Amino acid sequence: MNSRQRMQLAMTLKQPDRVPVMCQLSLGHYFLFSGVDPVDIWYTSEGFAEALIRMADRYRFDGILINLPGRDPEFERHIQRIESVPEGRKIVWKNGCFTLFPQDDNPHYYQPDGTRYFPTFEELEPEKLYYVEPWDITEIAYPYSWGFEAEPAPFDDFFPPYHMDTIKLVKQRVGERLSVHGEVFSPWSQFLELLNYENALMAIMDDPGKVQACLERLTEGAIDLALHQAETGVDAVLISSAFAGAGLISRQHYETFVLPYEKRLIAAIKAKYAIPVYTHTCGAIGDRLDLMLATGTDGIDTLDPPPLGTVELDKAKQQLAGRAFIKGNIDPVNTLLMGTPESIAEDVRWRIEVGKPGGGYILSSACSVAPRTPPEHLKMLADLAETYGRYA
Amino acid sequence: MHKELLQQLAQAVIDGNKDQAETLTNQLLDAGLEAKAILDNGLMPGMDVVGQRFRDNLIFVPEVLIAARAMKASLAILEPLLAASNAPQVGTVVIGTVKGDIHDIGKNIVIMMLRGAGFRVVDLGIDTPAEKFLQAAREENADIVGMSALLTTTMGYMKTVIERLKAEGLRVKTMVGGAPISPAFAEQIGADGYAKNAAEAVDKAKALLGV
Repeated sequence: MNSRQRMQLAMTLKQPDRVPVMCQLSLGHYFLFSGVDPVDIWYTSEGFAEALIRMADRYRFDGILINLPGRDPEFERHIQRIESVPEGRKIVWKNGCFTLFPQDDNPHYYQPDGTRYFPTFEELEPEKLYYVEPWDITEIAYPYSWGFEAEPAPFDDFFPPYHMDTIKLVKQRVGERLSVHGEVFSPWSQFLELLNYENALMAIMDDPGKVQACLERLTEGAIDLALHQAETGVDAVLISSAFAGAGLISRQHYETFVLPYEKRLIAAIKAKYAIPVYTHTCGAIGDRLDLMLATGTDGIDTLDPPPLGTVELDKAKQQLAGRAFIKGNIDPVNTLLMGTPESIAEDVRWRIEVGKPGGGYILSSACSVAPRTPPEHLKMLADLAETYGRYA
Repeated sequence: MHKELLQQLAQAVIDGNKDQAETLTNQLLDAGLEAKAILDNGLMPGMDVVGQRFRDNLIFVPEVLIAARAMKASLAILEPLLAASNAPQVGTVVIGTVKGDIHDIGKNIVIMMLRGAGFRVVDLGIDTPAEKFLQAAREENADIVGMSALLTTTMGYMKTVIERLKAEGLRVKTMVGGAPISPAFAEQIGADGYAKNAAEAVDKAKALLGV
């Protein structure tokens, strides 16, 4: 059984040969440890594909999550100069804006005056929204345009031709043996990224109807992107819905602003493609696993345990068994980043023993692996899955 | 009349009604009430209820944010008057998101909760280097330096700030918080206090100052 088959069985709630392993690594971890230049990872489809494959092979992961869009192959034509700064590198663009590129974390794009651009809620017109990609190289724009393009793309041809390049490259190289997953931002995540969180959260109190109109539009774009990814051949689609936990919003707000839109997104993917769709929500989600299931998701990613979140794996297993696969629950900070080999082994072994019975469990960090997590800690995961995760 | 208006002001904060909070604040001032009395008997009781409900998971971040916005609107009217009157404060907190980190929603909620509890708060913003914490702690005669981080790559910088504060001999308490921060980490880096959320931050700040 190869990794792809192992993941496929786990994601369809069956028992593979052993518990599969697949973590979502932070971009900073790729920057620090893949050996690929961070600028190439961030700005080129080829660089990111290379980093993804190298790290999956190094850690013997059974799958790869492609969590950046494919990049414009001619992005360099927009660069004026690159400077070394104390934080790392500074890319100054011909339009006067600049990107600060730390060595170990995601870069950010700044206006010439050093601020980051976000539209106000008041200026948003829902009909002008379609999809918001926060990790585009120029980050947020409104109305949304890709990179340095001056005009927004028409909604019936919104995603640029290079958008699927990383998926295509990874599929070509390892698609037969590894499970390759695409990522789509949930409508709710897009809305929060568009307004920079705080204003978005106040908007749901000020004008919920307008927020819902925005979310309707953003759902259309998310469906379009997910279908493009499925058509390109991904084995699963992850819905990144990071900001839908109890650390930010109530169950009632989840029911109003998250559930209906993710439900529609998932249904639209499933109507056309028989691939698993699963959901990544950070932090405290122990109080809303039932609502997450109601979206129709096939699996729940993260499941942060205390103190980062509120999910105890044994309780989650009881609630989700036979209904959705579980991917996650290893504390990425207190266990993987700061733990010792002994504490990691003990922690991971317990999670395998709890998650494994009956199948439907993928061993993974809860939220993303922190940039400076020692590689030797991550290498332990596949060994532990081999030792303790075998099905009879 | 004052009592009724103050109760309405507290309710405006609880409801997150910014316009109402501004109107009531002006009415109370016009009626002759001092700014400190409006803060103590209108805004603080309102934010106290907000903090309690937040702690009890009865309300969540959006409700707290609009309450904070209402309080901020009222404070914008009161603060010049408070400064002129030299009214005593519970204490002064200098707070920022540490260097390399641009996340500020958690910090901003803590700030509003602290202000609602009567603290004077100096917001250093995001991406704050140690030098800026030190300078502000000195210039503002801070009682507490608060630090926030969302990223595992930046949380270690809290230790740098704490060590610099100690090396400079500044007699100031330190508090830390943020998603990846734990009590164990706070103890490990030598922080005087850790708070899991904004409501706890107020309690911890009061405890550190013995008020």
